[in-house]
Amino acid sequence: MARMKFLCDSERCIECNGCVTACKQEHEVPWGVNRRRVVTMNDGVAGAEKSLSVACMHCTDAPCMSVCPVDCFYTTSEGVVLHDKDPCIGCGYCFYACPFGAPQFPQDGAFGMRGKMDKCTFCAGGPEADNSAEEFQKYGRNRLSEGKLPACAEMCSTKALLGGDADEVSNIFRDRVMNRDGKGAGVFGWATAYGKGDAKPSAQEKVTPKVEAKP
Amino acid sequence: MRSLQDHAAEAHPVSMLHTLHAKENGAKVICVDPRFTRTAAKADKYYRIRSGTDVAFLMGMMHHIFKNGWEDKEYIAARVYGIDKVKEEAAKWTPEEVERVTGMKEAEVRDVAETMAKNKPSTIIWAMGQTQHTNGNAIVRASCIFQLVLGNVGVSGGGTNIYRGHDNVQGATDVGPNPDSLPGYYGLVPGAWAHFAKVWGVDLDWIKKQFPTPAMMEKPGLTVSRWIDAVLEKNELIDQDSNLKAVVFWGHAPNSQSRGKEMIDAIKKLELLVVVDPYPSATAAMAAMSRQDGVYLLPAATQLECSGSATASNRSIQWREKVIEPMFESRTDHMIMYQLAQKFGYADQLLGKQSDGKLRIKLTKGAKGMDEPDVEDILREINRSVWTIGYTGQSPERLQAHMRNMHVFDVKTLRAKGGKDAKTGYVLDGDYFGLPWPCFGTAEIKHPGSPNLYDNSRHVMDGGGNFRANFGVERDGVSLLASDGSHSKGAEITTGYPEFDHVLLKKLGWWDDLTEVEQKAAEGKNWKTDLSGGIQRVAMKHGCHPFGNAKARAVVWNFPDPVPLHREALYSPRPDLIDKYPTHADQKNRWRLPVLFKSVQDANKDAVKSYPLVMTSGRLTEYEGGGDETRSNPWLAELQQEMFVEINPKDANDRGVRNNEYVWVESPTKAKLKVKTLVTERVGAGTVFLPFHFAGWWQGLDLRDKYPEGTAPIVRGEAVNTATTYGYDIVTMMQETKTTLCQVSRA
Repeated sequence: MARMKFLCDSERCIECNGCVTACKQEHEVPWGVNRRRVVTMNDGVAGAEKSLSVACMHCTDAPCMSVCPVDCFYTTSEGVVLHDKDPCIGCGYCFYACPFGAPQFPQDGAFGMRGKMDKCTFCAGGPEADNSAEEFQKYGRNRLSEGKLPACAEMCSTKALLGGDADEVSNIFRDRVMNRDGKGAGVFGWATAYGKGDAKPSAQEKVTPKVEAKP
Repeated sequence: MRSLQDHAAEAHPVSMLHTLHAKENGAKVICVDPRFTRTAAKADKYYRIRSGTDVAFLMGMMHHIFKNGWEDKEYIAARVYGIDKVKEEAAKWTPEEVERVTGMKEAEVRDVAETMAKNKPSTIIWAMGQTQHTNGNAIVRASCIFQLVLGNVGVSGGGTNIYRGHDNVQGATDVGPNPDSLPGYYGLVPGAWAHFAKVWGVDLDWIKKQFPTPAMMEKPGLTVSRWIDAVLEKNELIDQDSNLKAVVFWGHAPNSQSRGKEMIDAIKKLELLVVVDPYPSATAAMAAMSRQDGVYLLPAATQLECSGSATASNRSIQWREKVIEPMFESRTDHMIMYQLAQKFGYADQLLGKQSDGKLRIKLTKGAKGMDEPDVEDILREINRSVWTIGYTGQSPERLQAHMRNMHVFDVKTLRAKGGKDAKTGYVLDGDYFGLPWPCFGTAEIKHPGSPNLYDNSRHVMDGGGNFRANFGVERDGVSLLASDGSHSKGAEITTGYPEFDHVLLKKLGWWDDLTEVEQKAAEGKNWKTDLSGGIQRVAMKHGCHPFGNAKARAVVWNFPDPVPLHREALYSPRPDLIDKYPTHADQKNRWRLPVLFKSVQDANKDAVKSYPLVMTSGRLTEYEGGGDETRSNPWLAELQQEMFVEINPKDANDRGVRNNEYVWVESPTKAKLKVKTLVTERVGAGTVFLPFHFAGWWQGLDLRDKYPEGTAPIVRGEAVNTATTYGYDIVTMMQETKTTLCQVSRA
């Protein structure tokens, strides 16, 4: 059985927000709810700007699942972390637990109270019958059941965002990394992997972002 | 590999994939731009340049190239005319002078030059950052000459890559929106009119009668960039009888044009204003600001609501199918054109009605059962007529076979490896995807399309080429033809040769290669006007190019600056450089209107004292063009909710403004824009950047109630072009949007 994963390649992500738009349109997500977003560090700083597209990472040992007081989370056989909106009480505990800020809370009710949690479903819907009206209304489209990959990754203009079977995603990314200038560790920086110290391959200077010097 | 003044990551995100992929395969990417763009963030190196000084930088690079002997001497000798004059100009651009003008250090300029010279093939990518300047023609020509000097033109992986701003801009350009040419760059000469009258099936005398004078028919018309002057200019200064009285905005955003403040005056003065667009657009709101009548909105269908061919930047053509029927009251562009022609009484001529009553372009049923011209027949008319650039081989049948069989085309070479279309039996083998023009001859002779222009390493029937002999065979006693031995692969003529016509075919003894029918059609004709395609077929049969084999011109003697020169912007932040690098003298008549250069520059020599910041503009990924469609789309509107100005922390701090605060941006026209600050080092100190997709605010006022009910875009904001200043390129009449001045103050 495939195990689904996202991977965003920071050497390719150009902050075009195509993934965000694809997600919003596919699932008709309301304003203010961001199942996916592009995060840019050191925006506009020469040599240090990096962007990454982030959503629910569908963790193997998901912190949201561990802390949920009503136990609404479940993992599918393909490794996708989904939740059941019916028991969800909108407490926001999962938001505290999640390292990625994935859980979102729409405004709901007359007094603008928090609604039930909403997050990326890896385009796999929810517990309702596949492609039923109820499923779409609560979770959006179920593309996986139709044999399609997540809309965000399919829309990605530079193929920075990869989504699908973890083995395939690794193979694609490994190919890129092996071809890149500096190869292997050069891509993410020798210093990141092995700490500061000896000057290493020349590529290191170029690709090691300035952020590392900051706390 | 290098990107100069293009911002692919934001303006052409899908194209950026190719750059990133090339980088992974070892290509070096260098970005030179006044702004540290998202493209720059992905480049190996980024160098900042002062806006509008690209010629100085390019000449500065050529200075290093000639000094070090990095130029491709063999290529230049065989294929380039006039490089000595370029050498003389480049010699003046010493590293010190380049730094004084562009702000770029010697090491930076030399680094780009050396990287380009020593990593061939190398390419340059650009877009509006080079063209939308008062010396835009000089900038793009300097880029082309730079590539010629390195022998990078006509080479796979080399050339110049100019990314088009919208879907099918290339196709629109090819079929003649420019006021100085009929479709296919045939110009406006009598022979061109005769050629098209024949193809259209329209009586030439009838066409002549539509113009008040022959001069109106044969001299270049008004350019779209200057329509406001055609309305407002004194009548005696205009090179036509009347001022402009009616304007049709057909899929065109008013806020993409400069001098918005004056546009309001022009809109007020018009007798008729028509908007043909899927959205009422800012035109409707601007009209409502100034008048109550004489404005018509015709809802047009989008590209998803009609089928047809579209040409991409690489000259390849794709056939697209209709996805949905036209919504609401909208109609396709060609239906609107046909219905207008009916009202004006020339529908028969539009369709080419023959004496037997048969139509050259048949009618088919479109939205709500109404008639519209058949799009396949429209393409067939292009196939019958546009021999100049090889738009003749791409029949609807061939293009549709390509679309049905995309999988047989190699993604790198674009070439079909085998394959037979199941529906028609068409054999795809050897075709390049979309038959990029030139695809010479008729569809039957199966030219495969040309993946790279001017590539003489291939046979002409294999997509190869050479430079064209479009400008005569000799200039001041110097031959313009390619040197002996320089020709496309397999050509039977191994020297340079002129364009093919009936005389040349006879001289070569190739006339009898034509069939009898072809001979009849080709008599007295040349490769561009022979409607049988026989001249092209026979030339190519002998491995020759129908358009001849000549040198590329580094010196363009018919342009105001035969060799590209740096000229300071009209509103220059560097008045100390104006004496040495002045703009052109004022022009009395270009494209029917006077054009001001020197008088504006002189009058604004001191503008920088009150307006010390360089104001430049550009695109965002989220929005497209004038932005009315995309700002009306909730998924996109959410991502960019406010118009903003990017300002360097130093400039912001000096003015006491912080991030995300309202400021006034005022230009020398006294127009004032109320926008939010985005304090960032993306722009250097002394330069501010504003995106151009916003409209719907006017100098601090929200125009929401000026849009027809329910049509105001979700996101509205100040249009940067409300504040842009006067300035046009002397050759192209392209507006200056990239280098002007402004001041920023707290709102």
